Amino acid sequence: MKVTVLVLLVAVCAPIVVQAQSTPQQPLARTASAAAKIPAPGEFPPYKPPRTADGKPDFNGIWQSFVTADIDVQDHDAQPGPHPDIMGAYGAWPGGQGIVEGGEIPYKPEALAQKRANAEKRMVINITSDDRRHETGDPELKCYRPGIPRANYEPFPFQIIQSTDNIVMVYEFEHALRTIYMKEDKETPKDPPADSWMGWSHGHFEGDTLVIDSTGFVPYTCFDRAGDYHSDALHVVERYNLVSPYHIMYEATIEDPNVFTRPWKVSFPLYRRMEKNIQLVDFDCVEFVEKMLYGPYYKNSSK
Amino acid sequence: MGKRFGVHSNVWAVVIAIAAILAVPALVTAQTTSGVAGNKDKGAAPKKTWVSRTADGQPDLQGYWTSLSFTAMERPAKYGNREFLTDEEAAQIHKEGIQHSYEFTFNDLAETPVYDATVYALSAWQEGVAPNRRTSLVVDPPDGRIPPLTPEAAKVREAARKAGPNQDYADPNAPVKADVAEDLNLGERCLSFGGPPILPGAYNSNFQIVQGTGYVMIEYEWNNEIRIIPLDGRPQLSQGLHRWHGNSRGHWEGNTLVVETSNFRPGATFQGANAKTLKMTEYFTRTDQNTIEYKFTIDDPSTWTRPWSAIVPLSHMQGPIPEYDCSENNNDAVNILAGARATEKAAAEKAKNISLR
Repeated sequence: MKVTVLVLLVAVCAPIVVQAQSTPQQPLARTASAAAKIPAPGEFPPYKPPRTADGKPDFNGIWQSFVTADIDVQDHDAQPGPHPDIMGAYGAWPGGQGIVEGGEIPYKPEALAQKRANAEKRMVINITSDDRRHETGDPELKCYRPGIPRANYEPFPFQIIQSTDNIVMVYEFEHALRTIYMKEDKETPKDPPADSWMGWSHGHFEGDTLVIDSTGFVPYTCFDRAGDYHSDALHVVERYNLVSPYHIMYEATIEDPNVFTRPWKVSFPLYRRMEKNIQLVDFDCVEFVEKMLYGPYYKNSSK
Repeated sequence: MGKRFGVHSNVWAVVIAIAAILAVPALVTAQTTSGVAGNKDKGAAPKKTWVSRTADGQPDLQGYWTSLSFTAMERPAKYGNREFLTDEEAAQIHKEGIQHSYEFTFNDLAETPVYDATVYALSAWQEGVAPNRRTSLVVDPPDGRIPPLTPEAAKVREAARKAGPNQDYADPNAPVKADVAEDLNLGERCLSFGGPPILPGAYNSNFQIVQGTGYVMIEYEWNNEIRIIPLDGRPQLSQGLHRWHGNSRGHWEGNTLVVETSNFRPGATFQGANAKTLKMTEYFTRTDQNTIEYKFTIDDPSTWTRPWSAIVPLSHMQGPIPEYDCSENNNDAVNILAGARATEKAAAEKAKNISLR
């Protein structure tokens, strides 16, 4: 019986294999053979994106990255994650290739030491009713807004709602939201009116590229669980390019003279979520972290 | 009163305080110019609409809005079946509302900016709310009052009332149960500030609407809570998914955006309605450049004996909507829990001293 199945499988697969091998030798059979070719990762054929009614490239949709940069923006091995004794493979973190151009983040020497200290303290929680609460613990662990660019590579979808004057990005993680102002005026001046977790952003189009310039960040967000961080001088310039109906190539240049010796860049694709009737649902993780954050103040707490 | 509202970040507190100083001359203008101009609707007249369109041809509801209002939810008995005020009455109620808000703000000063009403409660007299000629927000039933509860819902509510308000802010001596975070209310926990429906609050009734291809997004300033409403006629979610603000589906009927919402999360519904049976329909119609007529109909046969509707005028306001970093700086949760522990400790010490005597 088993033999029969195997034979059948071979019989079914064989013609496809033959065809795939033979296609490269069919010269200039352009449309059919080009479409059949598997594209090399990172390469996209020339593409002209569809337009919104006001003539801009249309970024509307639900998007998600599939890199593991939320764990570490640089190359990293798989790790057991916290409490493997009870969490097993549920709690283990996958390895992955980094998203940093050139591989290394250009830290100032003292800042590199701080990054390592941050990683050491990423699960140290000490919640007070003042800003000392931000001194330790990865903000993601505490269900705080992820900041930019981390929101774009957390393992959650986000939705772009593109209008003429504003583009809104809504992230499923803690319903974090950023409004990108496409014009400067009295209500939305260039300079941030206050620091915020998701930054103060203005956007414009350079050809078909959506360019977003953000400043006014609080100094508390991190880039990943590996302690990579910034100060309140963070300046992020993002470039969004529609490279197919299903992909955005995303690039962010990160500048912070307090922490880095020069600007550095991350890049990765965003994938359009294509499930029928896909929508964002709620991940209001606040309720999942309360005991971790406020447990020491609970009645009969062990502290 | 103050502490439940103390969730603004310090950063915004300062910004808003500065904005207040700058805005004082402007608000005087806003009050005088808004006047009664936007309220010539006599009720019986056909509904007027004011249509500007987005680039893709939808009626344009975009911008910054406030649902602030001085009109009572339910009609005061003195008006009987009267649906509309005279212009003079409307102007008087408006004036009193402004005055009351102003007094609230300046009677609730505090040294700590996050608890200082002049930092967080300015909008009532700043945002230029237009007077409303309606005697109540509720327009149906015709008596302007929310219909009676079903016997089952009345029982549930009575049991909740007997259990007592967990934290009665009107009474500083009321016992506060704060053993664990779950004892705090959803706002104090930064989980939900309620809605839909969109209703006026004591302050910060602000939100923005953005329309993208096939979607309308509503962002409330409170906790930056978001509703994304698809317009493509897709089916509602199954009962396997529940959402803090329900799950919405929208479509256009003429120039009116109609939004149907269900799939509410138990424990997070309007007035304790039954999350399983609650259906809400909202109607957004722009009636002039600065006004959206917002109507909602609530249908929950297991809570109310009949469906009922209310109309809340939404007024244009100045933007933007700031980031509302709630859980990130939730000092309330720490202070309420730590306060309860300190109270217990003090009581235990006192009991010990008494027994030693």
